[in-house]
Amino acid sequence: MTALLETRGVWQRFGGLVANSDVSISVGRGEIVGLIGPNGAGKSTLFNLIAGVLPPTQGSILFDGEDVTKLPAAERCQRGVGRTFQVVKSFETMTVIDNVIVGALIRNTKMRIARQKAYEVLEFCGLAARADKLAADLVPSEKRRLEVARALATEPKLLLLDEVLTGLTPVEAQTGVELVRKVRATGVTVLMVEHVMEIVMPLVDRAIVLNLGKVLVEGKPTEVVRNPEVISAYLGDRHAVGA
Amino acid sequence: MDTHFAQRRRRDLIVAACLAAVAALVPLFVKDVYVQNIMVLTLMYAALSQSWNILSGYCGQISLGHALYFGLGAYTTALLFTKFGVLPWFGMLAGGAISAVIAMALGYPCFRLRGHYFVIATIVIAEIALLLIQNWDWAGAALGIDIPVRGDSWLKFQFARSKLPYFYFALALACIAWLVTWWLEDSKWGYWWRAVKDNPDAAESLGVVVFYSKMGAAAVSAFLVAVGGSFYAQFVSYIDPESVMGFQFSLLMALPAVLGGIGTLWGPVLGAVILIPLTELTRSFVGGSGRGVDLIVYGALIVAISLALPKGLVSVFGMLSGRKEAAR
Repeated sequence: MTALLETRGVWQRFGGLVANSDVSISVGRGEIVGLIGPNGAGKSTLFNLIAGVLPPTQGSILFDGEDVTKLPAAERCQRGVGRTFQVVKSFETMTVIDNVIVGALIRNTKMRIARQKAYEVLEFCGLAARADKLAADLVPSEKRRLEVARALATEPKLLLLDEVLTGLTPVEAQTGVELVRKVRATGVTVLMVEHVMEIVMPLVDRAIVLNLGKVLVEGKPTEVVRNPEVISAYLGDRHAVGA
Repeated sequence: MDTHFAQRRRRDLIVAACLAAVAALVPLFVKDVYVQNIMVLTLMYAALSQSWNILSGYCGQISLGHALYFGLGAYTTALLFTKFGVLPWFGMLAGGAISAVIAMALGYPCFRLRGHYFVIATIVIAEIALLLIQNWDWAGAALGIDIPVRGDSWLKFQFARSKLPYFYFALALACIAWLVTWWLEDSKWGYWWRAVKDNPDAAESLGVVVFYSKMGAAAVSAFLVAVGGSFYAQFVSYIDPESVMGFQFSLLMALPAVLGGIGTLWGPVLGAVILIPLTELTRSFVGGSGRGVDLIVYGALIVAISLALPKGLVSVFGMLSGRKEAAR
């Protein structure tokens, strides 16, 4: 079976800055893949290219066997790409359930069913008790979960999580990890950008390390963290010698 | 599950029906023509503001150029009647349709602008349209159009002797604008519009085509405002460019919604019921001095309300019910 997501030789330039150079990755169905790398490695840019926020300067993106390189974000969502944002983008003046209904409406035209579906997703994400609160009144960890709930309501095949576990307390982060496992158990493929290594490494099946816009290494998390190139990218050459 | 939501929507509908019924009975007791005139204007602005609220309140695209659609409605009806003898009822629909099409044609380039730039574009476009009409001889240029009186009739929608038919039409229009909003609020469009207003990037990531959403809101909003303009032309039976397309109309459509509560179902109605009588009364009681005292009073009141209740007058009801819940 073909990979769910594949990027082929993707480049992104912003003026003179090369954010992604010749990035070719693939994500198989049912996988949890971590996309890691130091600040400025081009993770968020690659994410935005996959989500369709902007088209790549060069290269192509294949989703579910089809070329989606030229498709805008809304169309990719229709095809099954769901995403969260690193800086949460809740619909602040709407209630929590209304936030999720916006996502549910893409697959359900009847309002009553969309509302029902949104409520189920909130229960799945542990936010049902907050359904009638304004999104603006949620605490940060709840807003992160709302981002996930909203994306899940679009019934994605691939869920892109952009630093959903960053900045949470250890307990909140653990709840987040369990949520991601639950999501995968329902058959959704997950590609996640994450900073917090000790949390993300036990969670992912495979890690892809980006550095300076290029794929540095990819492989099993346990192998990746011992890779001298990865250590040098994160901590500098001096530390890599000892590894 | 979630019967709370269904209950609230049903309650809104019942309250609206009761208010409409009470409003319909008012002319039986109020015979004063001056007061009746104010009531007609209040209902008309409630309808206009409700329509403005669809694009600017729900979808968040602040327009200060809606006078354009108001004027288009008025002119289409008046021109079709005086030049071709087309009944105002058809003129109303034609004006609405033309406005909706023009709103989309203008939206095509303008909806790429965000924030202040969009607002500026709406003002400028309405001003250009005003200048065009002022110089268009066939349409009466700056002199305007006198709609000939052919005797009172519903068919020609003309009533020289009584304000009552206008009152009931304005009431119907306000009810229609309210019902359209009520219905859209719990529809795919309503959710899309609010999502677009709050965060277009997030909306796009959830499959909302932001551009089409704005176009849809603009079309509905412009259509309803144009019907209001057609009504106004029949009501005053004489129109000129400044009196139906002037900038003040754009403001008078926006103010009730902003004051009452922008992007809310009840805001425009509440705002219009307070603001329009206030405008008329300050004009009659302190406007005679010729020094603009009425406008000073009027402006001061608006500033006071906006400072005290930045979320609009409807937020008072939220506070009251909040206190009730807390007391329980």
